[in-house]
Amino acid sequence: MYHELTVWSRGIIMDKEARDVSSCIAAAARALGYQADNVSDYVDDPDRTNCLVRRYARFGDSPIVDRFVYENPHPDWVVLVEETIIKAVNFLRGTPDRTGVVVVNSIRDPGYLLKFLPDEMRAKIAKFVVVDAVGLAEQRGRSPWMFVRNLSELALDRMSTEGAEERLAIGMGIAAPLIGALTAATGVLPLEAVADQVADEDAMMRGAARHLVVDFTAADGAAAGPAPATDRKAGQPPATYRKAGQAGQLPAIDGQAGAARQVPVTPAAHTASAG
Amino acid sequence: MSVRGTRIPPHLQLPIAGVTPPPTEKEGQRLFPTGNFRFYRPVYRDKTPPCNNACPTGEQIQKYLDHVKHERYLDGYVTILEDNPMPSVTGRVCYHPCETACNRAAHDEPIGIRSVERFLGDYGLALPKNPIAETLPPLNGTTVAIVGSGPAGLACAYHLRRRGYPSVIFEALEKPGGMLRAGIPAWHLPEEILDAEITKLTRLGGIDIRCGVRAGQDISWEELRSYPAAFLALGQDVGRRLPVEGIEARGVMGALEFLRETGLGRPVKVGRQVLVIGGGNTASDAARSAIRLGGGEAIIASLEAASELLIVPEDLAQARDEGIAFAPNTSLVKVLSAGGQVTGAVVCDARLGQDAHGGVRPEPLPGTEREITCDTILIAIGQVQQLDWLPDHLSDRGVITADGHGRVEGNVFVGGDVMRGPSMVVDALGDGKRAARDIDRLLTAQALEPEPEPEIMPYEGLNAAYFRPAPRIEAPLTPAGERRRSQRVEVTLAYSREQAVTESDRCMSCGVCNGCDNCYIVCPDVSVMRDARENGHYAIRTTYCKGCLVCVQECPTGCLEKVPEMDFDDPADVTRMETAFAPYDGAHAEQSAFTRQLIEETIAEYDAARAAPAGDGRPAAPPNGDAG
Repeated sequence: MYHELTVWSRGIIMDKEARDVSSCIAAAARALGYQADNVSDYVDDPDRTNCLVRRYARFGDSPIVDRFVYENPHPDWVVLVEETIIKAVNFLRGTPDRTGVVVVNSIRDPGYLLKFLPDEMRAKIAKFVVVDAVGLAEQRGRSPWMFVRNLSELALDRMSTEGAEERLAIGMGIAAPLIGALTAATGVLPLEAVADQVADEDAMMRGAARHLVVDFTAADGAAAGPAPATDRKAGQPPATYRKAGQAGQLPAIDGQAGAARQVPVTPAAHTASAG
Repeated sequence: MSVRGTRIPPHLQLPIAGVTPPPTEKEGQRLFPTGNFRFYRPVYRDKTPPCNNACPTGEQIQKYLDHVKHERYLDGYVTILEDNPMPSVTGRVCYHPCETACNRAAHDEPIGIRSVERFLGDYGLALPKNPIAETLPPLNGTTVAIVGSGPAGLACAYHLRRRGYPSVIFEALEKPGGMLRAGIPAWHLPEEILDAEITKLTRLGGIDIRCGVRAGQDISWEELRSYPAAFLALGQDVGRRLPVEGIEARGVMGALEFLRETGLGRPVKVGRQVLVIGGGNTASDAARSAIRLGGGEAIIASLEAASELLIVPEDLAQARDEGIAFAPNTSLVKVLSAGGQVTGAVVCDARLGQDAHGGVRPEPLPGTEREITCDTILIAIGQVQQLDWLPDHLSDRGVITADGHGRVEGNVFVGGDVMRGPSMVVDALGDGKRAARDIDRLLTAQALEPEPEPEIMPYEGLNAAYFRPAPRIEAPLTPAGERRRSQRVEVTLAYSREQAVTESDRCMSCGVCNGCDNCYIVCPDVSVMRDARENGHYAIRTTYCKGCLVCVQECPTGCLEKVPEMDFDDPADVTRMETAFAPYDGAHAEQSAFTRQLIEETIAEYDAARAAPAGDGRPAAPPNGDAG
């Protein structure tokens, strides 16, 4: 078992949120006894407003060999903290076919978001998850995090979300519902274990309960879009950083949380998961 | 120094992003398109300025002020003629709802739009040739009947002519112009100006004005209906009667009738002590004309309190300057006469009440009666129209009823005072314009459609910091003592050319791009292009624009908006980058294609080596590895 999480976000204004997602997932995995790594601040220069930035986490049941390799070469979990990133970049670069779980923070219809993806990107998706993280986050007033403001305010406000607060609380604001939706949709880590690492547990659980899922594996090739593109790594596990011979030492917890939170949503009919 | 884990795999030793060239460097934007930084896109979208919206004819005021500002007077004149056939008239007599709505009022003072319009109108009248004459389509032979040659009728004929329709106008009086001639005194609107504007219209060809033809007497409803289409714009030229004792005495007359006789140049006898009953603009015009003709004094007695008078503020101030006296909250009780000639009137204090239909009803206070000496009484308490020649169901208390399009029935439309009750010249011009458009729609088998709801630019949407306070240039006036000597001395005078240009320059161009270059200057990334013009002026280079929105914030007029990038729903209109920094197009694309290939090959090699363990359970040494 080995997963790579890449969180895409925008420099300065949503940098902290991206970092919280990757660090909470890595911390939860580590607490469960997995080998985990979190790269919260490297490669992409975060000091430019709006520029694309990435935060990485990876965890598995074997030691991670290339500890100081910062980029995930085969991300199978992808979180887009801001919806326009759908248009901006090939965030599924290196993802093996039909393995990618993509979580997008958006209030738009999943079908509308999916239409911007070319066939070769759609071919890599297993689950496409849309969560209104801004709406589910603790609203302004109680939350110290500015991203519960709407985008319009943010776009004209150049304050950073980086700052002194981050040591006190990790996993607040829009990060919490994003973590919830990601955990529920992937079903690999138990929600309770992740919640222990998240400051705003309620918002995380709201995200876990309320999101839309387009499951490409359920109706492969039908409404889910075109057939998988030919990729010479198709179907292969992301083996690059997995140390051979140590798998299976940890109790198999795959699917536990997923069973509790399974959301049978077909690509043809997107419905809100009941949670 | 290295410990386990510090090894960098070969595929990540390759340069991916490279060095970012600055946008101003040659090819910089092409090499490094940063369009994916953006989640809001600046978009030029013009809104409707409040002046344009308030004008019943929909004059593009911002546009002609911009032309005048740049001293393109002919362009400005042609812009007005798009909507209003007679700027010299409205430039003098309009009650300028545009200036009332002007956003600049919230800033310092509204723009003197009417004076600029008059400047352009007079400029146009002085031209040897009407500039729009050459743009007219040939006549199509479908003649439309128009009743009344007032502003509504003339505007309808003009706009029909511009669409190719000939028209025939039936005018009851011996001269065309309707209320422009018979209701507006010459000191407001000189006869020569009105004649020149009407001549300008009739010279376009296809507009046949037949004077001395009164609808109902000389031409019947059935005859009108026999035309392919008709427009009823007969106005309201019958003054309301006041049922008081002695009203039939010599020297008592309707203000409207008085203004009509003077306007048509007929001899009218006015005394030196004139009492005008009424609180509206007609009362003011009648009183001011009376002191010019009789050389005496005038008192305006109104039911309205001084603060409630319906006279437009500037006319009120001019009337006061000319020595008109006011007796507010006063009602006429009785006319006193000797030998059939008025000698005075009994008035009392009163308040303005309303009857069940919302009409005016005086509420006199008994015991406050007093006598006023006067030799002429002018009654200006409202007006109606004689409509008994129409089928009963088409008229109601002196106005013609119509639907929301001004359509009476069939192809017959109505506009102006006879539809609205007493209203502004510019309302009538607007009705004529809309009727011509709707008649054209009906005759070409199109549906009548309501006008789209405009998006009006509020003052708050402007970046007011860019407009330094500048006082309004008030239109010059003839001194009060001089102007009250004659009916023919114009009260309000024209702007000079310099004044017109300076005043036009005060326009804030609310919601409409006027090419001020501010976005072009403030863009930190050279993404506002002036060579490729969109919206007439600029284009945003979307492959490079980072969506910082400085241009939106700094746009003085508010025509630049931010639109969420995700709202642009064309999947083909997406420039997706391969990584955060290496784009598909540009020089990086060439590099990134090459880079991609190397990465793929290296990963494949690495994976293959790992998939075949050396036998001791440890992973194979990575190719070209530098670990340890």
